[in-house]
Amino acid sequence: MDLAAAVATHLTSRSLSPTPQWLAHFTSSVRSNTPLPALQKTAEFRLLGTDITTSLQATPQSTFPAGISESAVPELRIPGPVPVQVLDLEDIGRSRWSQVEAIEMDERGETRKGHEVIRVVPDEEDNSDPNPPATNAGGPHKLLVQDAKGNKAYAFELEDVKDIDISSLSIGAKIVLRDFTVARGVIMLTPRSALVLGGKIEAWDKKWKDDRKKVLKEKAGWREENAFS
Amino acid sequence: MSGGGRAITVLNVAEKPSVAKSVATLLSRGQGIRVREGRSRYNKIFEFDYSIRGQHCRMLVTSVTGHLMELDFEDRFRKWHSCDPADLYAAPVRKFVPQDKLDIKRTLEEEARRCQWLVLWLDCDREGENIAFEVINICTVANRNLTIKRARFSALIEREIHDSVQNLIEPNQWFADAVDARQEIDLRIGASFTRFQTMLLRDAFVIDSAADDRNLVLSYGPCQFPTLGFVVERFWEIQSHEPEEFWTINCSHKSEEGIATFNWARGHLFDYTCAVIIYEMCVEEPSATVTRVRQQEKFKYPPHPLSTIELEKRASRYFRMSSEHTMKVAEELYQAGFISYPRTETDNFSARTDLHAIAQEQQGHPVWGSYAQRLLDPSSGLWRNPSNGGHDDKAHPPIHPTKFSGGETNWSQDHHRLYELVVRHFLACVSQPAIGAETTVEIDIAGEQFAATGRVIIAKNYLDVYRFESWGGSVIPTYVPGQQFIPTTLTLDSGVTRPPPLLSEADLLNCMDKAGIGTDATMHDHIKKLLDRFYATKDQNMRLSPTNLGEALVMGYDDMGYKLWKPNLRSMMEFDMRAVSEGAKTKAEVLETCLQQMKACFLDARSNKQKLMEAMAVFFERAARTARDEQHVVGEFVRLCGLCHQSNMVLKRNRDGNFMVGCLGFPQCRNVVWLPGSVSEAVVTANICNSCSPGPVYMIQFKFRRLEIPPNYSVDHLGCIGGCDDTLQQLTEICGTGSRMSAARGGGPTPLSSSAQRSNSRQQACSNCRQLGHSSTDCPSVISGTRNSRSRRADQQDGGLSISCNTCGASCPLRTANTSNNKGRKFYSCQSEGCNFFVWEDSLQNGGGRHGANGGASNSGTRSNSLGGRGRGGRGANNAANGTFVSATGDPVTGRCYVCGDPSHFANVCPNRFT
Repeated sequence: MDLAAAVATHLTSRSLSPTPQWLAHFTSSVRSNTPLPALQKTAEFRLLGTDITTSLQATPQSTFPAGISESAVPELRIPGPVPVQVLDLEDIGRSRWSQVEAIEMDERGETRKGHEVIRVVPDEEDNSDPNPPATNAGGPHKLLVQDAKGNKAYAFELEDVKDIDISSLSIGAKIVLRDFTVARGVIMLTPRSALVLGGKIEAWDKKWKDDRKKVLKEKAGWREENAFS
Repeated sequence: MSGGGRAITVLNVAEKPSVAKSVATLLSRGQGIRVREGRSRYNKIFEFDYSIRGQHCRMLVTSVTGHLMELDFEDRFRKWHSCDPADLYAAPVRKFVPQDKLDIKRTLEEEARRCQWLVLWLDCDREGENIAFEVINICTVANRNLTIKRARFSALIEREIHDSVQNLIEPNQWFADAVDARQEIDLRIGASFTRFQTMLLRDAFVIDSAADDRNLVLSYGPCQFPTLGFVVERFWEIQSHEPEEFWTINCSHKSEEGIATFNWARGHLFDYTCAVIIYEMCVEEPSATVTRVRQQEKFKYPPHPLSTIELEKRASRYFRMSSEHTMKVAEELYQAGFISYPRTETDNFSARTDLHAIAQEQQGHPVWGSYAQRLLDPSSGLWRNPSNGGHDDKAHPPIHPTKFSGGETNWSQDHHRLYELVVRHFLACVSQPAIGAETTVEIDIAGEQFAATGRVIIAKNYLDVYRFESWGGSVIPTYVPGQQFIPTTLTLDSGVTRPPPLLSEADLLNCMDKAGIGTDATMHDHIKKLLDRFYATKDQNMRLSPTNLGEALVMGYDDMGYKLWKPNLRSMMEFDMRAVSEGAKTKAEVLETCLQQMKACFLDARSNKQKLMEAMAVFFERAARTARDEQHVVGEFVRLCGLCHQSNMVLKRNRDGNFMVGCLGFPQCRNVVWLPGSVSEAVVTANICNSCSPGPVYMIQFKFRRLEIPPNYSVDHLGCIGGCDDTLQQLTEICGTGSRMSAARGGGPTPLSSSAQRSNSRQQACSNCRQLGHSSTDCPSVISGTRNSRSRRADQQDGGLSISCNTCGASCPLRTANTSNNKGRKFYSCQSEGCNFFVWEDSLQNGGGRHGANGGASNSGTRSNSLGGRGRGGRGANNAANGTFVSATGDPVTGRCYVCGDPSHFANVCPNRFT
């Protein structure tokens, strides 16, 4: 069997159909005596580290329909499968400021034990934390995702999806969406509709991590300058 | 045992005169007791006959007053300038009896000479053990043949004292060593840092918070500083907080049985879009299905037995008593025999304690007596052995009542309260927990989960006596799984995050306890010291905020990158101290490692002293006369200083060329009147002001710079600095003074119209002034609400900034002054021809809401913007222009805008000024 075809078959079974160029480039870069299953894995791993707008085939079925992010549409069902890559990730279960504080504590080398917030003294009505308590481990998350054509859309973790987590999911990670709902222009993520394949795009991820504190602060309303704007 | 035979003479020494009296009274049972004077008139000697294990004894009971000895450096190191403070880590120290304790020492020596035994009745804690060794030291010098014994007791009650004297033990050298080590470490660290920072800062800045303290000492204590750190850290956290909006879905269901409020399992989301989408889904299919009904018995447990820290925390919470006062009252109750020793870490009763007997005593009390009776009635089933809090200092039991009292005539309200707390706490901790039946109903609406909880109190048990705690009940209708209903209401609601509250005294004790700062015997002292030293203040809600001085010091050390204000270092020391008291480490070992470490820390801090100076400069004006070269410039006499009434006030120019009238008594007296920055010449005349007193106050002939004063003012002016001169005051407001701290003290800055438009409709109490109606970011009493605790907005570009001219409306670019007086200071000025509009950028900052642009070069400048929140005005603003006619020690002479008369702002920021 043709090596390229065998690799393509495997990738397609993962809902990742590479462009012929990428495939050709890949097959030319590997030694042909490598066992096929290893090659297939290598191809998948490499593909997960690419920008899908250049590496994946964009067919009508594997990309978002036009007007996906139209907020006037109450509900839209898309069969997919649509491979997407993560451009941005946000925990909307916690205030941004508390996330900034957590990052700063971490920078200072003070890590929280478990999730202990010392400001609350138990048993005292008048001293309770005025803020709602953070729910368990964090999340739900809101993501900005992009399909192979470059269309962007927001996605919301309606139900807890494994591997969607601020600390473990990287920017550039790939998610395959199938049979999913889009409500008011936002993709609803559930364990049934979203499969996290992982991967990352190093440069994007680094920039995102470097900027995260600044972005969070700005979203929290912190301004360098707003008196004369 | 000698069994009768010849009587021996036993010298008993207690820690305080009152304890000596109690011990003597209890041991003699009031029979045949004689009192005579010792050399010290407070420390009397009680004599009576007694028998210890069959040995006839002539008992002499006397006392010391706390520590008999002091630790200090040898004389040649005691003067502040006698040595480099770094030498204090190795300078020889000695323990000696200070002058005022010599009488007690002589009494002990005289009595010891004629005694065979010495029994030590000092308080049974580490400190007491240390004092015991001081007493041993004195007595054995006088009489080498003494037999030395230690009495161990926890309450001044008959049973305990008799038991104790029949079961004497040996004094514990380890305990005493731990205290020695702590004393020496504290002395060396405290003295070196105190000298260093006081000499560095005292004369460099006008520290007016302690204006009445002529010999201001900026003390540094190794415990006190981390304690201050907690207060400052929380304050910064509040200052840096950014309110954020969140959304939640609430659901309620009303039926004939009542109403149930269901809370969203997600709690809240910080993203509006997502919240709305989910809300829409719920509204589309609002039918709710009951997925689960859980019924559970819930217990609310009584507190653990009472330790010192818990006593302090609870007294603070329930009665708003300061911890220091609590301990004073508790000490008095203990000395009078009503409660057990109040300094204990133990929150676990030993099996030997007769808890029933303690409860029995309380049966006659008119208020809680009936509860005690019920508790002791086995058929009530109310009794429960107390829980174990897990702490045991192996010296004292938890605090508990030792004697019944229905209240004594000489008790203050606080004595009553504290005794009641101790009794109720004891009765509570031997009672059954309160029992409630909780029902949790979980429902599903369009895939979203909601839950409601109802609670019915089945038995209050301990809550019947422990009136300080409560447990609410709430009833919800009955639901069965699978049941469907349409919610009565389903709403999407928003809320706003709020900063944590200021640290309360109870919170602070908690922080200190967790971090291991201080001991149960000293923690309340550290808190009190912060207040005494002007490092922090406490409001009527027992909440602490740092003063400028406190904040500046912490900021300075923090900027050095040192964690001196963090608890870690001290925790390690306290840990070592504990190791010494347990014999795991020697005193010498701990002293060596600890002092070595702290000396390195000290040297490093000193080489970074610039940071401390910079931090102080954010809050305080640099003293006008620091440089020696200015000392000889003696100005012209204006008047006798109205503050110190000793020295003359003279007209002078400071280094920057600004005029002021200052007291020659500086630095003892810091009275100073700053004159407008626009003064170009000033000469004292022979004219005497008719209205100002105490006279004579000589008037001054001023000449102002034309371009720096409004056109309607004359450049020549004969004025008076005594406070009667309106023109001078107005010009001071308009032009500011040469002093940086003169800005608008007490007046309160006003938001400029250009920046005050940020309205916030959220209804929440302002974290700054605690008033409803605005959020902290819009608080008129704060200058800038936005500040990140640690990351400053220092490095901002000023490019592109502009405001519009108040006069002609043209755009005014931000520019930087290059004059000698205001080098580097930013200002806006109108470019239009013939328009003279000009305003300092930092004066806008003072007025503005959240304007973060940094004016001067100080990297701490932005932080200063937020300082005004506590009614001190924009003190930190760089060369603030909105000055008022103010004396450095007194109140502002004026406090209202002269243009429109509004007391909330000053003329230079008056919105009506240029109209």
